[in-house]
Formats: sequence, structure tokens, C-alpha cells
Amino acid sequence: MSRSSSLKITRVGLLGLLAPSVAIYTFVIIVPLALSFYYSLTDWVGGPTKNYIGFRNYSLLVHDSLFWHSFKNNMIILALTLIIQMSLAFLLTTLFMSKALRLKELHRTVIFFPVVLSAVVVGFVWQMIYSHDYGILNSILRSIGLESAIRPWLDDPKIVIYSVTVPLIWQYLGIPLMIFVSAVHGIPKDIYESCELDGCTGFKKARYITFPLIYDTIKVVVMLCISSNMLVFSHIYVMTGGGPGTSSMVMAQYAYKTSFGSMQLGYGSAVTIGMFVISFGIVLIFKRLAEVRV
Amino acid sequence: MKVKLWKPMGMSVAALALGMSLIAGCGGKDATKDSAPSASGNQTEASADASSPAKAPVKVTFMNLWAKDSTENIAVTVRAELAKFKQENPDIVVVEESIGDQNAYYTKLKTLAASNDLPDIFISKGSELAMFAQNETVASLDDALGEDAAWKDGFLSTAFNDLSSGGHTYGVPFSMLATHVVYYNKQIFADAGFASFPKTWSELEDAIAKIKAKGITPIALGNKEQWVAESCVLSALGDRFTGTEWFTSINAKSGAKFTDPDFVKSLAALQNLAKAGAFNADLNSINNDQQKTLYFNGKAAMFMEGSWAIGAVSAAPKEIADNTEVAVLPSVEGGKGNARATSGGAGSGYAVGIKGYAAKKDAITKVLKAMSGESFAKSLAEKGEPAAFKVGEYDKSKVSPLSVKYAELASQLQFTPIYDSYLSPALTSVMNAGLQDLLIDAVSPEDLAKKIQAAYEKES
Repeated sequence: MSRSSSLKITRVGLLGLLAPSVAIYTFVIIVPLALSFYYSLTDWVGGPTKNYIGFRNYSLLVHDSLFWHSFKNNMIILALTLIIQMSLAFLLTTLFMSKALRLKELHRTVIFFPVVLSAVVVGFVWQMIYSHDYGILNSILRSIGLESAIRPWLDDPKIVIYSVTVPLIWQYLGIPLMIFVSAVHGIPKDIYESCELDGCTGFKKARYITFPLIYDTIKVVVMLCISSNMLVFSHIYVMTGGGPGTSSMVMAQYAYKTSFGSMQLGYGSAVTIGMFVISFGIVLIFKRLAEVRV
Repeated sequence: MKVKLWKPMGMSVAALALGMSLIAGCGGKDATKDSAPSASGNQTEASADASSPAKAPVKVTFMNLWAKDSTENIAVTVRAELAKFKQENPDIVVVEESIGDQNAYYTKLKTLAASNDLPDIFISKGSELAMFAQNETVASLDDALGEDAAWKDGFLSTAFNDLSSGGHTYGVPFSMLATHVVYYNKQIFADAGFASFPKTWSELEDAIAKIKAKGITPIALGNKEQWVAESCVLSALGDRFTGTEWFTSINAKSGAKFTDPDFVKSLAALQNLAKAGAFNADLNSINNDQQKTLYFNGKAAMFMEGSWAIGAVSAAPKEIADNTEVAVLPSVEGGKGNARATSGGAGSGYAVGIKGYAAKKDAITKVLKAMSGESFAKSLAEKGEPAAFKVGEYDKSKVSPLSVKYAELASQLQFTPIYDSYLSPALTSVMNAGLQDLLIDAVSPEDLAKKIQAAYEKES
């Protein structure tokens, strides 16, 4: 019966084809996650002995002010990225759709270019930009007479978290932009034409036609943005190493530091699992919220 | 049913095999690379003696933090001794693995330790060694040292202090270093009206104010990697206030506290320097190489780093190198510590992974002796670097002028403990991060002391 149609696939055949990817996924995601969870229940500090201590690491984690501080930093980065990056990307998309913009290809390439750079390279470049004595940012400020605006960008605990967010927004601006542009290309031209006949132009076109029609795409982009920002690590590691003190510490770096800096592998695993639970929770909450609208 | 099932099952197995072989293919390279040093049994080396085919050479792996092309005195000396060793001992092959970046090196080391896969010989700090010893991943060298009294007694008496824990020795020292040395530009000090380095703390504060008034950064500090302020400044400054007994008591967990007024005073002194504008504004975002750059450009009057920086300073622009003098921090008012002291010691040494030690003890001991014994120490001393092994007469003609100045200074100094050589990595990381906050006035000395004390109590 299964041979009746070569195009039809049986349940078993489907499972058979899925098995390899599931196996790979299991090895690189599920197994490490399960192992991390197991380690998080021990007091492992890197030796041959691991003592089972139940959920003590987690009760420590809940009261760990540094972990919540890192979480807060993650949320600041996430909020800034969502607001600034998304709106910039949307704004640029409408610009790209307008006839006024010349050299679209060039603009697109230039904006997308940083995405392919390594995060570490971007971190180093921005560290130089922010440099107090030699940085281009401070020299620009100086040359236009804004000496009063010069700050130790990466040394002031009050502004450092914003300073490290800028490169993140800058580097990954290209991704939402690309996705938005291709989504907007998918909107049939006649809709725009008919709305123009009705006297709808510029901002109104973006608000009442483009936005609702690419709403689903926006949801996907926001989801991507959330998941990547919860894991941000390399930029900050390179630029400040979490400093000064712990003012620019994010969760991934805290996990790394406890695991490999202080060798508290058990507790470090608990931090990782905590990170996983929180990120997963935020994505779920967002999904719920997004379903309600329109 | 069976027949019907067979086809998809076969398909899945084939696809799985393909997928897995891809993964295995990726991992394959690493596996062969990693296992090469340890699989000494089934590999025949070209250098093996043809007349005794039964005896394959013993492979000893040696992981160090000197880049392959490093010109550091110690690296050059060790490599020269190893080359000599290779000719004298064809039956022992030393396989070197070098990682030049300190942070990366220690990350790799800790990861290897976590899987009990430490190399036969590696370089490690005392605090890490104590942790490895507790986890039973490093071998105690008591036997090896005990069997050769001439070798053991040849070392300076204090050389093993940093490398022992629980009454056992886990490391063989190679050099004696000070982590705190003040390198200062005597020209800038003279311009500010100081003929020599300040003798008292208030004089130093005065000098800092005067140098700052001339538009020069008094002290260049690059504390991005967080260890500089602690290892190169606070270890010495703290001792000025608390005296060494306090730290001995901290280390033995016998009563002293980080909240003791003396230690808090040392934190306050450090913060006061920062408040007085003694450091560059970006002290937490540049590293220790960049702090030297500030000094080399003549933009800073001094910087504090360990004796290892002598080589870099000697290679600095001539007018800077010629004007550089070395000193240590002056005495402080009411301090319990000796003012002619600096934090220092062996700091780190060669340690031995427990896995290889059981099978290759003799070969490993031979390599250790070649890299630490008299001939090594002598050639190190001739380059101007203080060795951990006592040396008699040696040729001083090639020693750089700054090394001579340092040797003169060091001979008058008493070495006190380097904090991060003794305190656990977890405690050190709390202290180091806290010092960054302290230096930008984001935490008060009292609160930081409480924080360090809390982390300290968590461990006992």
C-alpha cells in the first residue's frame, strides 16, 4: 500500500527521514542541556568528585543579586535593541521603498556589511572608537566643540551599558532590514496603487498598509532579536569584560565567569539553566502577547 | 509489516550514518591532534634508536604560556635548555604546546583540569595549583624532589612557598618575580621638583598633585583585565598597611578578616589616589600593555607592574628607557608592614598532571630538572632575570641597565605574598571586580571589604 504513490510518504518513512536531524539536534542541544542540568544539581568545582546537592544551587541563584543585575542588563540591551533597531529598520525599509532614494544597492550592502563581521572584531573596533585619548568619537566631539560631552564611554558605570549596546544595534541592523525589505517586496503593488488613488501617501502608507501586512514578519524578527540578545556575549567580553566592576555584566558572561573564571562549574551550570528558563519564558510571553493583537 | 518497515528503517540508518559521519569528521581532526602526545605507545618516532626497536621514546607534553616566537628571557632560556636536553636524551621527546594569551591559557588549563586531562608538565599559579590539588588532578612532587636533595636544596628557601598547599609541594619554581614595581620617569619627577622617588605616602600624594598640575597623568593604570590593580598594586599596598602576618592569618583562615581596619585603610588609600586623579580616566577599559603605551609616550609619569615588564621598558623609546628608574611604594602612616617590601615570589611554577606522572615519572622529572636546575638558572641570570635556583658567579655583561637597577632594588626588598597566588580563583574574581568599582568610586572601601569578606566566608 505504501507503493501506491511514490510521492506519498508514510508515517514511518517520515520519521525515518527526520531521525538524522533529530539525532544531531539531540546531540548538540538536548544532551548538553540535560548534562548541564545534571551538573547544576552538584557542587562540581572541576575535580573528579561531584556531590549531589539537590536544588541548593538554584536557591542560591534566586538570591544572587549579581545574576539579577546581569539579567537587568540583558533586559536593557533587549529593550533598546527592540525599540531602536526595529524602528530604524522599519524606517529604512520605507525609505528603500520610496522612489526618492538613490543607490539602493549600495546602501543595502553598506548597512548589511557589519553583519558578516565577527563579533570580536566589532568589539575591538568599537573599543577603539570609544577610546578616551585616541578614539574617533571623542575627537569628533572635540572638533565640533562639544568637549563637555566627552565621557569615559566604557569606564562610567552609569553609561557603560548604553555604550556597549550601540555596537550591537549597529552591527545587526542589517538583519531585520533585509527581512523587512523582502517582506515588503512581497506585498502586491496594486494595493499600494489603489491606496495612492485614495490619497494615502508617505507615513500613512507605512502605517496602514505596510505595517499590518508585514506584521507576521515583524513578529518573527522580534523573536530572533529576543533570542540573540539574551545570549549576547562576545562584544561585551571584548569591550569591557563585564566591567567596570560588574556594571556591564550580562547573563552569558556571568555563566562563563563562574564556570571558567572561578571554576564553580556546578553553579555555573545552574546559571546557564536559569538563563535558558528565563529566555524561554520571555519568548513564550511574547508569543502570547503577539497573538492577541490584530 | 516487517518488510514494509524495512525500507524506511534502512533509509533512516543510512541518513543517520551520513549525518553522524559528518559530525565525526569534524571532530576527527581534534581527536588525533589531542591524542598524539598521549598515544606514545603505538607511535614510532623517526628519532627512535634503530638498535633498540622495543624502546619507543617517551613523550612528555609541556604546555606553556610563551608564544612560539616570544622574546621573553624566560621563554628563550627554557627553549634553549630544551634543545640541549633533546640532544642529550634522545629517548625523551618533549612536545610543546604554547598559548601566548594568559587568559586563554588559564581558561584552557582549567577546562583540561575539569576533565582530568592535564598535560604532563604545565605552568600554573599557586592558587590554581591548590585547587587542582584538591581535585586530585595534579601530582605531588614531594617524592621527586626528595630523591634529589641537591636539586631541591638548590632553590631559594622561599621559592616553594607559592607552590605548596596542605604540606605538599605541587610545583617547581623557575623564576622569582615581584608583581609590584613602580617604573617612573625621573625626568618628569625632576620637573615637578622631586629629585628622587617619594619616601612617604604624603610626599607621594604631593608629587601626584604636582605632576597632574603639569598636565601629565601621574600613574598609568590599565585594569581592564582586572588583575593589575590587585596583583600589581594592592598586593603591595595592602601589605604596607596590614603587615604580612595579617595575610598569613587570612590564608590559614585563622581569624583575620578583610573587614579589619588596616585592610580597609589600604582600600581607602587606593581609592583616594583615584579620587585625586592619579590615574588615567579610562583605567578600566585599557589593559596592562596599553598602560605601558601611555608611559612610553611620555603621557604618564609612572606605572606599576611586575618585574616582567623590565624587558618591555628596556625596549621602549630611548629617552623614556634611559630616564626610567624603579622603586616600590613608600611607607604609609601607621602601617604595620615593612616599607622595603614588595609582593613577589615564585608566583607560578611547573606542575605535573597526575595522569602522565604514574607512567612517566622519571622522564618528567628529568625534563623538570633541565628546565629549572643550575644551568638553566645561570643562563637566565645572565639575561638579567632573577631565577628561583641559586646561582654562583655568572657573566653580567649582557644584562640591561634597568635589570641591574632592579636587581639592586630587589636585593634590599623582602618579598610578601601576592594575593592572587594564594586566594582562591572565586575570591580573587570578587576582589578584582570590586577594585574596578572602587577605582571609579562606585563602592566605598567599607562596602567592598564587606563584600570580599562575605565571599571569603562562603568558602570556609
